[in-house]
Amino acid sequence: MNAIIRTEKLGKYFGAMAAVHEVTLALQEGLFTSVIGPNGAGKTTLINLLSGFMLPDRGAIYFREKEITRLETDKRVKMGISRSFQVMNIFPRMTVFQNILLAVLSRLNKTSSAFSSLRSQKEAVGEAEKTLGEVWLQEKKDSPAGELSHGDQRLLELGIAVATNPQLCFLDEPSSGMNPIERIKVLELVKKLAAERNTTFIIVEHDMDIVFSLSDWIVVMNRGEVLAEGTPGDIRENQEVRDIYLGEEI
Amino acid sequence: MKTRLAILILVILLALLPAYAGKYAVYVVIHILLLSIFSLGFNLLFGYTGLLSFGQAGFYAVGAYGCAKILLAYPSLLVGIVGGVAITGVVSLALGYLCIRHTRIYFSMLTLSFGMMIFSLAWKWRDMTGGDDGLVGIPRAALEIPGLFKINMTPMENYYYVVLAFAILAIALFHRIVHSPMGLTLQGIRDSETRTACIGISVRKYRLIAFTIAGLYAGLAGAMLPPLESTVTPPLAHWSHSAEPVLATLLGGIYTFSGPIVGSVIFYLLKDIIVRFTEYWQICLGIIVVALVMGFRGGVVSIFLRKGGRP
Repeated sequence: MNAIIRTEKLGKYFGAMAAVHEVTLALQEGLFTSVIGPNGAGKTTLINLLSGFMLPDRGAIYFREKEITRLETDKRVKMGISRSFQVMNIFPRMTVFQNILLAVLSRLNKTSSAFSSLRSQKEAVGEAEKTLGEVWLQEKKDSPAGELSHGDQRLLELGIAVATNPQLCFLDEPSSGMNPIERIKVLELVKKLAAERNTTFIIVEHDMDIVFSLSDWIVVMNRGEVLAEGTPGDIRENQEVRDIYLGEEI
Repeated sequence: MKTRLAILILVILLALLPAYAGKYAVYVVIHILLLSIFSLGFNLLFGYTGLLSFGQAGFYAVGAYGCAKILLAYPSLLVGIVGGVAITGVVSLALGYLCIRHTRIYFSMLTLSFGMMIFSLAWKWRDMTGGDDGLVGIPRAALEIPGLFKINMTPMENYYYVVLAFAILAIALFHRIVHSPMGLTLQGIRDSETRTACIGISVRKYRLIAFTIAGLYAGLAGAMLPPLESTVTPPLAHWSHSAEPVLATLLGGIYTFSGPIVGSVIFYLLKDIIVRFTEYWQICLGIIVVALVMGFRGGVVSIFLRKGGRP
């Protein structure tokens, strides 16, 4: 298999604190990968660096072997990289449908069209409707996004992330704030989308049961460094990983 | 359907205005139309893109001085107005390139600074702008396309129709823009810059487009002033003039298409009425504006929105 994204000695430092330090990774295409670790381990910073939301102080990032280390976020999205955020990040004043439509219009390079109506963008409208159905929000399409329940807003954020039709999608705690049943449903939806859309998902998740049951590959971070990576079986047996989780059953 | 009918009736009433209203009413409506265009442009930045500019009067003045200089050198109304708008477009594109790198208070302060720089230029560059005397004796030149037609603009009623035509065109174009994919993109930037960037949109590029369009609208409003007043003076570029579209938009409604237009009507009429009774009109106007803004948080237009209309 080929690495869809890889890093070489990636580093991000805030003063004396190393948020990410010397991270060298090669994440494979098609594998459902989870990044885990205790709070402050550097998981979100790593996602921020890979998605272009932050620029690294050291090291390099390659997407399909093309260097993207200092490439702007919007240009990475055009290459096929998408993401969702740990803290909800949607367009609250727009309707649910418009949230998805804007992402589709961006993918189709139609956002600069100033003289055509939204309704005339038939291809984009059709795709947005389809995506809404995929994330179970069809019936709420005309609701203001800011008035949705927390769970629905999480689904909407997932919908926005996949509406750009990414090859690689980072999801930062996609099920945070949900109850255990909702969590399983959302993460199973992510797996389904991965298969149907041929998208490689890399998620940050805290629920170890879900991580170990759904992931093909797990990366464990601690204090900004990669502590271990491997299949769920490998990670379960790793004593260092057990130690950082204070001996928890994982 | 009801909205379209209301708009049609309004356009007919405006078109017939010189027939049933006096000269002063026509003069007032011209000013309201100019403020509406000015406020619409401002609201593309503020209500649609989330950027609060305190320097739009600078662009208004560039349009006004540009048109005035052209009319003084070459008396053709169309050339004057189009030329004034074109000059404003270049200036707003150049200043926009510097301003849009910042957001929130930093953006507002930058626009305020550039607006006041234009004010200083208008005040000090006497050879070009006439200094504190301004430019005077600007002709209300004929509207003509050589070989096709020539319409005398000396009667104010004739000039009113030119302003009305430009205003309808500007408003229709604005409606088209804000309901287009580009309009949705600007609203996305307003709601969340980071989310917009993370769906593949260059936030800076669209901020610059919005800034330039807003400048063009301010320039258009400004360019139509000199033929009406025959004079332009530095206070047109002053920051207090930039406050007018801000107040009109807050009064009418920030997040609505028609808010700035309705706000312009209310703002101008209030100002026009109060100024007749007291020299302290700004204090009275301020109190009324504050009361209205606090009473109708979403602007006056929000009352109709709550009733299910589509203003």
